[in-house]
Amino acid sequence: MIKSFLKIFLPTTLLLFSGCSKKGCKDPNAINYDSSAKKDNNSCLYEEFDKEVLLSNITNNYIIPSYNQYNLNLKSLDSSIKEFTQQPTVSGLSKVRNSWHNALLSWQDISFIDFGPSTLIILKTQTNTFPADTFNIDKNITSGSWDFNTISSNDLKGFQALDYLLNKRGLTEIERITYYTNSQNARDYMNAISDELVTNIAYVVREWSTYKNDFISDFTTNANGSSVSEMINSMCLDYEFFVRRGKLGLPLGIFDLFSNDPLPELVECLHYGQSLPFIKRSVESLQKYINGIHYSSNENGIGFDDYMNFVNATSNNENLSSVVNSKFDLILTNLNTLNDPLSSELVTNNSQVNLAYDAMQNLVPYIKVDMTSALGVLITYADNDGD
Amino acid sequence: MQITTEINKWIKHFSENTVNIAPLITFRIVFGLMMFASTLRFILKGWINDFYVTPKYYFTYYGFDWVRPLDEKSMYILFGILLVSSFLITLGFLYRASIVLFFLTFTYIELIDKTNYLNHYYFISLMSFILIFLPLQRNFSFDCYFRICKKIKEVPSWTINFIKLQIAFVYIFAGISKLNYHWLIEAQPLINWLKHQSDFPIIGKLLLEDFTAYLFSWGGAIFDLFIVFILISKRWRIYGYILVIIFHLLTAVMFPIGVFPLVMIGSTLIYFDEKLHEKIIKFISRFTLKINESKTEHLYNTKNSFKPFYKLLFVSFFILQLVLPMRYLLYPGKLFWTEQGYRFSWRVMLIEKAGYAQFYIHEPLKDRKMLVENRNYLTPQQEKMMATQPDMILQFAHHISKTFKDSIITERNGEIINLGKSPKVTADVKVSLFNKGSRSFVDNNINLTSEKRGFSNKSWILPYED
Repeated sequence: MIKSFLKIFLPTTLLLFSGCSKKGCKDPNAINYDSSAKKDNNSCLYEEFDKEVLLSNITNNYIIPSYNQYNLNLKSLDSSIKEFTQQPTVSGLSKVRNSWHNALLSWQDISFIDFGPSTLIILKTQTNTFPADTFNIDKNITSGSWDFNTISSNDLKGFQALDYLLNKRGLTEIERITYYTNSQNARDYMNAISDELVTNIAYVVREWSTYKNDFISDFTTNANGSSVSEMINSMCLDYEFFVRRGKLGLPLGIFDLFSNDPLPELVECLHYGQSLPFIKRSVESLQKYINGIHYSSNENGIGFDDYMNFVNATSNNENLSSVVNSKFDLILTNLNTLNDPLSSELVTNNSQVNLAYDAMQNLVPYIKVDMTSALGVLITYADNDGD
Repeated sequence: MQITTEINKWIKHFSENTVNIAPLITFRIVFGLMMFASTLRFILKGWINDFYVTPKYYFTYYGFDWVRPLDEKSMYILFGILLVSSFLITLGFLYRASIVLFFLTFTYIELIDKTNYLNHYYFISLMSFILIFLPLQRNFSFDCYFRICKKIKEVPSWTINFIKLQIAFVYIFAGISKLNYHWLIEAQPLINWLKHQSDFPIIGKLLLEDFTAYLFSWGGAIFDLFIVFILISKRWRIYGYILVIIFHLLTAVMFPIGVFPLVMIGSTLIYFDEKLHEKIIKFISRFTLKINESKTEHLYNTKNSFKPFYKLLFVSFFILQLVLPMRYLLYPGKLFWTEQGYRFSWRVMLIEKAGYAQFYIHEPLKDRKMLVENRNYLTPQQEKMMATQPDMILQFAHHISKTFKDSIITERNGEIINLGKSPKVTADVKVSLFNKGSRSFVDNNINLTSEKRGFSNKSWILPYED
């Protein structure tokens, strides 16, 4: 009641008192946004926010559809691999490569959903650990025996092992076809990787059908282990550790002792020669997810941006959700100035890549400190009492 | 002349008057049970492993660097000692030995790592120290049953009043610490925290109103400041205790503060007079073995009980507790920002702070630096606590410097770098206080390796910019 009273009362009084000084709410996210206002007078009012709506929006309109899309893309990858391994042809290989590219792109959309069913099977490291261990992949194929069930096999399988198998350097396309025609083991290895990718996501999709309801109904708290906390923690970890550090920082040599010379062999999809589409996609997807944007239609639903607005989160007197989005935009602008192959760009255009890294680094405190603290989420992976 | 005799009379009333022992007995049982339950909870949550086995480095307290975690098995044994001793305290069996053991073990564990500092752990340490000197086992106990000590019916009033005084310190200082601009005028940090409680049953929507945050802030401050005075008044006591229950239950459901609410609800029972405690004991005795009540009741030797040694001990004990919360006044700068003199002062749930720290090791000769990945040395919990607390930032910098002391680094290009006796370490730290946006926390040009630990002012903390 007080809220509705305020909603009517506040704007009216402000209207009365403001007269011709053109004060008003300057935040376009607010429901009383005044485009003619020259000066912000802290009068912004926001849509009634509901955490359950946030959870159900992100679950139903991002998580489930993105898992389904990834599942679909893996199925088409799997069928193209089956087709190719039955009858290796040049056109079959390029079809596999094409569906592999699409599946890996849609993997970037879900890699930060690292809680619940996907965590149970450690989906992330099973799926896309790089660089691939090419020496042992070759060894496995020669010996014809391998075990994908151990942790140490993570760099022997998944998308990056496929990258090596599909795009191994120094071979012509014809030579690759000959290789697969002659090696039953290589064909089996490719199928085994594909089978495992398909099995894993099938498990996650199946589990989410029951996990979903518990996940959405766990909205009363942001304490450790709650849905909001899981989402925020997993996306902060994914961004800081796997995107910023893994996709750009490590290849740049940022983490390499004092000399910081680039390590081109650490880029994602080294053999394919294209890394940037996947980095960009991971940043774009994360931005979409934070903003509660629908996976398929790009419609803007209730997301963490609305949550930040609802609690009036600011960063040095600026609206925090706008600051976070501007940091995302800046990263993408910087990434767009780069050219593939990233492995050579690291050397020839080092300063530009460093600028892109700086932009990525710059986002970290805003999501890890400002956003989590504003949303009352503790960044911790262990349960503990507060004081 | 008249005044001094009045004061003497008053002191005598509160220290040497004989009173019924019953409140001490229920306190022993309640305290023992609560300690047993909270230790069990700690163990079942797997925290021994998370807090005292997994970490590779521990943030010790200045002056207590000799307190080290024991190996995994011994850590479990320490917690086993806590379980057994708290159980024996409840029974009043081998009480003196049990409470001494409990105090030493508990305090040792708490001194291992300041990451785990909580005001209520500090409270438990202090309380168990006091309990060493009080005759909590002298009635309704196995010690009396086995004639280890003689049963008494009455005790001098100081024994009960010291417990009351200790609890009074907690509330009153917690109240005083709330009398600051952020708490009263901005309703911070509650105004932020309550916004996440919109799904709270029944009153959820009310919690969103700024008005509620102010009500809770002011209400909390007034409660803390005056609750003890309500509890000591015979007439208002029962209403005060209802307030205690409401206040602590509310905080328990809203915030992740573990067993603290329960400990306070249990401890404040001490303010009730003997009648209630005798009823409680009578009630409990219905479920216990019928102890062969010995008829002989010894008088507690009140003349000798409050020996000069005790006087000196307790006077200095409480004076120390008066001084500790005030020590922050000796430091320049904003207390909530620098946290110099923040711990051991009953500042509970006062600030919302988050940070992000990046450390660098510098090459001795050239102007090059190497990134330190905190997660290689610290648990996420330690990293989070360290990032906002300057003494921990300094400790970690020293740890890094020591780790790389005399290290010889071979770069991939074959270059060899000797880091020397004390590698320079700097830090870029961003901290957000009360969600006002992250800003630089420490001077990133300062070589933290050469800054000394201790109680002197840390001038390398950047001033807070509003």
